[in-house]
Amino acid sequence: MDRVKTGIKGLDEMLNGGLLSDTANLVEGAPGTGKSTLGMQFIYNGITQFNEPGLVMTFEEFPQQYYHDAEAFGWNFRQLEQADKLRVIMTSPEVGKADLERVGGRIEAMTREIGARRILVDSLSHFERLTDDPAELRSMLFGFINSLKREGLTSILTRESQAFIGETDGAEEDAAFMVDSYIMLRYVEIESAIRKALLVLKLRGSDHAKDIRQFEITPTGIEVRSKFEGREGIMSGSPRRMADSFIEAFVTPSKKPRP
Amino acid sequence: MASNDLAARLMGDMAPQLLEFLKSKVNTFVKWDLVRFFHENPNTTDTAENIARYAGRDVATIEVEMDELVSAGVLNCQHIGDLTVYSLIEDPTMRSLVDQFILACDDRQFRVKAIYHIIRGMR
Repeated sequence: MDRVKTGIKGLDEMLNGGLLSDTANLVEGAPGTGKSTLGMQFIYNGITQFNEPGLVMTFEEFPQQYYHDAEAFGWNFRQLEQADKLRVIMTSPEVGKADLERVGGRIEAMTREIGARRILVDSLSHFERLTDDPAELRSMLFGFINSLKREGLTSILTRESQAFIGETDGAEEDAAFMVDSYIMLRYVEIESAIRKALLVLKLRGSDHAKDIRQFEITPTGIEVRSKFEGREGIMSGSPRRMADSFIEAFVTPSKKPRP
Repeated sequence: MASNDLAARLMGDMAPQLLEFLKSKVNTFVKWDLVRFFHENPNTTDTAENIARYAGRDVATIEVEMDELVSAGVLNCQHIGDLTVYSLIEDPTMRSLVDQFILACDDRQFRVKAIYHIIRGMR
């Protein structure tokens, strides 16, 4: 099976070698967790390490912001655009979707023009303003995702989580069924400090790491590090030491009076 | 007469292709803003409503000006289903002219001349 390496330290190992080719991959997390950075790094590494040109499709975020943010990591997006290895496209979900659905659309033309193999769509959350009907939204997203696959693009689709810390509500899980992989980014509070956690929740058609890893946004991009040792309830946002859980489960009940 | 002399002096040392671009294409401040917007975001494809939001302008004003930029060959207008969308024209010559214009705007003297020209044209 063809693997599309992210080139992100520690992540490809979690993905058993990388993402699968021509698939849609959801990266979901609260603002500031690093969704866009992960996506930009995927595009940048694709171009510079694996010779796979890429597209960035931004909804309502100015391309200049991406050039600026990328530059902070030493990734020169303007230069890559000039070299016809990258296109940063600003559009709206309705226009982007309609353009992809028609024959000979602008995005299709750009994909062929630069031979794009990867795309970052930032962010899928903007589709939610198009309709209040969950069935219609699901149909829209399904069509959009399939049109990316049709173009032979391996996509990273970001989505904003409503909760800063802890679990989100079930309404956000719908898109997770449509994508081929689902990566969750979370803030975690440990001993009065905020750290970041990454979990590969799903990777359709492949094995993957099931543990929750720490990650950091370094001056050169995201680095996935070791797993959280000796703690549980990481994704709740407030993990406990496993020893505390053991005491709670086995020691505390014995103190309670028997019914 | 004196006013015409001043205009001639101001425009005299402007590169002919930029002078022509200013006279025939970017002849309002809204168009200037739009040209700058598309120069900074060259792969933008969107509706007039959304571009108006991005540019912080009124859609009715933007739409008229964008249609004129389409007629002038600076922008491209397409119909995708029931959506009318605008983008910067792909033509490399026109894109190069847009680049030259925006680059020239970095120079204060050029901006003063361009502003004077636009104001004169609006009278």
